[in-house]
Amino acid sequence: MLSDELISNLRRIVGPSQVSVSRANTELYSYDASLAKGQPGVVVFPGNTGEAARIVKIVHQADIPFVPRGFGTNLSGGTVLVSGGVVICLSRLNRIIDISPQRRCAVLQPGVTNLELQDALAPLGFFYAPDPASQKVATLGGNVGENSGGPRCLKYGVTTNHVLGMEVILASGEVVRIGGAAYDPPGYDLRGVMVGSEGTMGIVTEVTVNILPLPEAIITLLVIYDDIADAARSVTDIISAGIVPTTLEMMDAPIIKAVEDSYACGYPRDAAAVLIIEVEGLPVGLQDQVAQISELCRKNQCRDIHEAKDDSERNRLWEGRRGAFGAVARIAPNYLVNDCTVPRTKLPEALSRVAAIVKKYNFEHGNVFHAGDGNLHPLIFFDSRDADQLKRVKKAGWEIMEACVGLGGTISGEHGVGLEKLDAMRMVFNEQDLSAQRALQQAFDPGKILNPGKVIPLSDKKENTLDLSPSGKIGASSTGIAAEAEIIDKIQHAASTGKALLPTGCGTLRHFGNLSNGTAEFLNSSELNEVIEFDPNNQVVTAGAGLALDRLQGELADKNQWLPIRPLFSIQSHSIGGVMALGACGPERMHYGAPRDLVLGLRFINGSGQKISTGGKVVKNVAGYDMTRLMIGSAGTLGLITEVTCRVTTIPERCTAISAEGSLAACAALAGKLITSQLSPVFVAAIPANKADAKIDNESWKLMTGFEGFEKIVAEQLKRTANMLEKDGLELKNQEEYPVQDGIFGDIYIELGQSAFVLRADVPLDEVAGFVEFFSSRLTDANMFVDFGCGRMLAGFEVMQDEVWRQICDLCDQRNGHVLMERAPVEFKKQNDVFGTARPEWQIMHRIKAALDPHTIFAPGRLPGKV
Amino acid sequence: MDRTDISKYYDEISQCNRCGFCQVACPIFRSTGHEAGVARGRLALLRAIIEGRLEWNQEVEEPLFDCLLCGACTANCFAAIPTSDLVIKARAQYLEKVGRKSIHRLLFDQLLPYPRRLHLAARAVALGKNTGITDLARALGLLKIFGRDFVHANEIVERFPTQAFRDQIKTGVHQGQGQSLRIGYFIGCGVDIITQDAGHATLRLLKKIGKTVNVLENCCCGLPAWSYGDLKAARKLAARNLSILVSEKFDVIVTDCSSCASFLKNYPQLFPEADKHHEKSQAVSARVKDMVQLIHTMQAYAPSSDSAVTVTYHHPCHATRGQGLAKEPDEILNRLPGVEYRPLLEADWCCGGAGSYGFSHYELSQQVLDRKMDNLKKTGANLLVTSCPACIMHLSYGVRKHGLNTKVCHISELVI
Ligand SMILES: Cc1cc2nc3c(=O)[nH]c(=O)nc-3n(C[C@H](O)[C@H](O)[C@H](O)COP(=O)(O)OP(=O)(O)OC[C@H]3O[C@@H](n4cnc5c(N)ncnc54)[C@H](O)[C@@H]3O)c2cc1C
Ligand code: SF4
Ligand code: SF4
Repeated sequence: MLSDELISNLRRIVGPSQVSVSRANTELYSYDASLAKGQPGVVVFPGNTGEAARIVKIVHQADIPFVPRGFGTNLSGGTVLVSGGVVICLSRLNRIIDISPQRRCAVLQPGVTNLELQDALAPLGFFYAPDPASQKVATLGGNVGENSGGPRCLKYGVTTNHVLGMEVILASGEVVRIGGAAYDPPGYDLRGVMVGSEGTMGIVTEVTVNILPLPEAIITLLVIYDDIADAARSVTDIISAGIVPTTLEMMDAPIIKAVEDSYACGYPRDAAAVLIIEVEGLPVGLQDQVAQISELCRKNQCRDIHEAKDDSERNRLWEGRRGAFGAVARIAPNYLVNDCTVPRTKLPEALSRVAAIVKKYNFEHGNVFHAGDGNLHPLIFFDSRDADQLKRVKKAGWEIMEACVGLGGTISGEHGVGLEKLDAMRMVFNEQDLSAQRALQQAFDPGKILNPGKVIPLSDKKENTLDLSPSGKIGASSTGIAAEAEIIDKIQHAASTGKALLPTGCGTLRHFGNLSNGTAEFLNSSELNEVIEFDPNNQVVTAGAGLALDRLQGELADKNQWLPIRPLFSIQSHSIGGVMALGACGPERMHYGAPRDLVLGLRFINGSGQKISTGGKVVKNVAGYDMTRLMIGSAGTLGLITEVTCRVTTIPERCTAISAEGSLAACAALAGKLITSQLSPVFVAAIPANKADAKIDNESWKLMTGFEGFEKIVAEQLKRTANMLEKDGLELKNQEEYPVQDGIFGDIYIELGQSAFVLRADVPLDEVAGFVEFFSSRLTDANMFVDFGCGRMLAGFEVMQDEVWRQICDLCDQRNGHVLMERAPVEFKKQNDVFGTARPEWQIMHRIKAALDPHTIFAPGRLPGKV
Repeated sequence: MDRTDISKYYDEISQCNRCGFCQVACPIFRSTGHEAGVARGRLALLRAIIEGRLEWNQEVEEPLFDCLLCGACTANCFAAIPTSDLVIKARAQYLEKVGRKSIHRLLFDQLLPYPRRLHLAARAVALGKNTGITDLARALGLLKIFGRDFVHANEIVERFPTQAFRDQIKTGVHQGQGQSLRIGYFIGCGVDIITQDAGHATLRLLKKIGKTVNVLENCCCGLPAWSYGDLKAARKLAARNLSILVSEKFDVIVTDCSSCASFLKNYPQLFPEADKHHEKSQAVSARVKDMVQLIHTMQAYAPSSDSAVTVTYHHPCHATRGQGLAKEPDEILNRLPGVEYRPLLEADWCCGGAGSYGFSHYELSQQVLDRKMDNLKKTGANLLVTSCPACIMHLSYGVRKHGLNTKVCHISELVI
């Protein structure tokens, strides 16, 4: 398959020593850290993006499969080529390109390891949240490929929650930039789609990630148990109590022993299980959390609670935890690691089912896992040299996945599907779901040469198209079912007649997007308006897309919980589906994340009238492509969202904003300090202080900073912020409490929302003030809202010259940002694209749209590029 | 014949569960990014050979012979798989199956057992210009510097001592000022032939500590032959040394070469329990001390100069991982008056000086060395101290190549 000509061309690109074709090399690249085996034809080591792109071009021309590879530590067969092809190894692209604390981001080549990044950030007082146990040998490219998680992800989320943008080589060899330092580019969430795509959609040659200030204090607890079930129940109780520690890890007896045999890390050899619990933040209030957690652990019969006394003790504990997989090599030559995730409340049951299955197949096993996320890692010990053991262990693995899916979980929380879990994909997705995912992949790789045979099993024509997936079985009420049937009818009718449909929820967001040719009929989800399932102990809710946000919040509030989104403008009357479809959020995004960070799964009806499920109901899930994030922010262009499952959280004890006035420059400088400080403001925003005076000047602005959470911690943060404000010469105004669901900006949004034009611009965090200055010099009587925490500016105004619009677009472009006219009169829309300057990444969006909405019936005009 | 069969080690080799943790600190892997250069890859190849998927042929030469045997992989492997030992065994089998070069036969059989012949040969190498000798230079593991730096031969020749260190100080018993300790001084080839300043400093120190210092007539410790995979030659050298080292005339055997020290401590592993040398080797190895250990036990240190110096330290592989001497040098340097100690980043990473014989590894060892030099520059130290002559040579070369003013020396030279 690999011609001599191809090989010599590869050698010409990278030099002879960077192309390996020997038999030995086929052996060396036949494996990764999983049990999968394959046989590549040739291995190439590009030294830069240009070389990598040229390699892809000629490989693409020759129609030969290829796979990007980092350090080959994935646990799913993700880098194993089954039968020939080219391994493109990115280990030489190992430069840290830029670290910018002011922008809270870092730009890296994909071969930089997670730990190298952490080591570079720590002296600057920053860290990168995802911390896979393999961090010292896992590259960022691999982290992106697998959507890796780690102990800290309980508090901070996984890789996808921290990737802002990337440079990608597509299957054709074309190099495209996706996203960047500025948040939420318009159109589909391509970076969300790329993350976790396991090297099947493109080669990442540069990645921009979000970084965070290191916490001021950390307390690490080692909680010791004589019974593993007690440990599991403690985890459930801690989560149910609404406490979110930074880490909540578990290890059981066999693992503890293996780890201690390797290095003395300080784990008690006679324990049945231990929990490693870490809390961090400001010192004040930290001991309260420790006390709360300790009480729950004691209630569950823990033997002892030990607090790490210093960094070295803490590091040793973590060293042991991270080395656990490696350490079991002392027990048996191989291990099969399962990566199922279950609802946190089901942990005790899941552990006992796993134990029963392992016993049935006559193996030994150990558990070391991210308990707080419900992400199990039972390691089954065996010897791959024994064919019978290999067969049995795979069966046991399969049954464990079945058991966990049966408990409402999924087959993989962070290790990916790769080759090893291909067939298991059918446990969580039906054929329709899978074919939607296939279509998504092919929009990136029509020739199916990128890491073929991974993630999605080949299509199974036999399976009927009835909705049989486990997720599909969760029923809405009969009105819901009837409403769905009606929607499906409408879609099928539209598909056959070529009529356009505009999905809506409560109809509050209809003005969005470019103009479309002809009229579109509304497709309404407002009858799908129930809370379908609310598991308060697990802090997860599933609701019909037509349910209004305020009604959802009402139901959650009964259990002292809420969905931490306060969308802009008419806030609470939006439908939950509409909020998700537009990815709408306010300046609280800096703390709570955007809708993309809160949704766990959803269902939608596609252009063929099929019900498609994405994601699941567990907090960590990498089974299949991330269709969930594709749908969020897709503005109805791919189908009608019917149901959404979200992570919710405990209502904060106190919400208070502190305000101060000063010049724009002074506000920006202070915002910069707050953003890079160890405080955790929920928002840092500013408005012109002098609204009576129609003209905006740069001298009088009002900076508003919000804090939410435990009373004590909020009070401390307010105190410190007040000090900072005063020290910097801002004029301290008031402190104001506000209701948790509505927030504090209601009036400001209403005013903004009444303008003929509403503009949203996103730029890197440290560029906001400069942009605002430019903007206010052009549009002196605009209403403005500046969100320093998210690098965003909103403005409402009545007149906009095309010329000024072009200048704004250009400026945003130059500053690596983007601009979106959220609302504009028809006349303006006739002349301009409301999404601003065209970007190469839009073409990928158009291909996705064509693949998933082949009859082009949904929401014309709502995709950038007038599609 | 000394048959090696790596399938004897199938269990150990299969223990590698491919977690990849060894990738973090393998200097070769970090330079090349190639799987062939890391423990996981080397073990995978051995497994493939045992399982019949690969043959013993030249394809496996590079993965087997570009290993620095630095042990960093094992230190990062929770299963503690002794990759460097396994690689040595595999090299031995490779030599049997694919053949060993005549130049190595000459080196291990004819030169290393005889310190004087070795000295002469080394001089010849330094002075000679014909290619045959260049080959030998490369083969002389300890004298790598000549092989690599042959274009700069003149520079080295200038400093090439005309007389072996052992000949300058005379073997046999020297009287010291110490109370009771009787010391046997084992002079490694490196100190004997090249880094003689270190030797002089060590001897002076030993005389301060010991009641007597017995300068031994030992030959090469055998490590180069062992590393190359010529186990038979290594055992022969070890046996020669054992006959000298068993003597009751000294309480401790001290060497200022950490590589020698670590290998001497490992002598019992060379001889199976049934072997007649086994017991002897145990008795000897128990008495071996690295010079670093001896200095560490000294009560008072005299600074080497009046003016304050900034010092940094390179931890040789055979000191940290070979003997577990990780904190001793730091403690010594922190206690030394007049010394500002600035720790080196990745201080225990191999400097690249070890075990690279061929031309093909020249580039590689330079990449490893360059990384070391970059870290050195960050310290701004004017003295780079270490405890192994091979490292001193290689690091000095690096310092010169990078045009730095830093001086490289043995820890004995700093303390006296
Ligand atoms: C001991 C051990 C512990 C682990 N612990 C964790 C853990 O706690 N959490 C966790 O999430 N994972 C864990 N893993 C799994 C693994 O380390 C992660 O998946 C890691 O992110 C893989 O990184 P890598 O560089 O080895 O990537 P590889 O294995 O080389 O590649 C992983 C995937 O990403 C793709 N890929 C690689 N580079 C690129 C690129 N530049 N562009 C596009 N695609 C690319 C590949 O095609 C492949 O599909 C562990 C593994 C081991 C062995
Ligand atoms: S660290 Fe050990 S077990 Fe892991 S891959 Fe390397 S040699 Fe194998
Ligand atoms: S001994 Fe050193 S060079 Fe050899 S594999 Fe191990 S770490 Fe790499």
